[in-house]
Amino acid sequence: MAQPGQPDPAAAIEMAKQEMDYRVNLFNAMVSSCYEKCIDKRYKDGELSVGENSCIDRCSSKYWQVTGIVGQMLGAQGGMQ
Amino acid sequence: MDPNLAAMQNLPQAQQQQLMQAIEQMQVRDSLRMYNSLVERCFRDCVSEFRSKDLNAGEEKCVQSCATKFMKHSARVGIRFGELSSEAESQMQAMMQQQQGGK
Repeated sequence: MAQPGQPDPAAAIEMAKQEMDYRVNLFNAMVSSCYEKCIDKRYKDGELSVGENSCIDRCSSKYWQVTGIVGQMLGAQGGMQ
Repeated sequence: MDPNLAAMQNLPQAQQQQLMQAIEQMQVRDSLRMYNSLVERCFRDCVSEFRSKDLNAGEEKCVQSCATKFMKHSARVGIRFGELSSEAESQMQAMMQQQQGGK
């Protein structure tokens, strides 16, 4: 039972799960998007080129920034439902 | 330390175990999902003719390269994701400390 002023453990677990779900989904979306944008699909071999590596780094950084901007805008509109 | 881990250790023992199990289940589910999506991706990118019921040498090599490349790509994004994540977390903590210091 939740005590007044004490965090409800059931709610804490639920929030932790949701936070994790969010992070996993974010990671998977980042992997998928940057793969589409950076990787040469001719598959001449199994190695990532220098160009591809740089692209991946920059793509991850930009994707993260987009996440931040969208988060701010959604927050400004009165919180996520 | 990963802030999520730190928060987790504040929960009572029973809840910690529950959370660990939930994490494990999520990892298993995520591995299976990744496996399927990788198969689909490499099939889509490498296989486009059906004159035979067996993969030819080119297709086989393509699939191997595709899978290897994707795993390496995923690992690299994982590293960057971790870095961006910690950086964001420490920026937030710095901001919070500033706000508290200003009172």
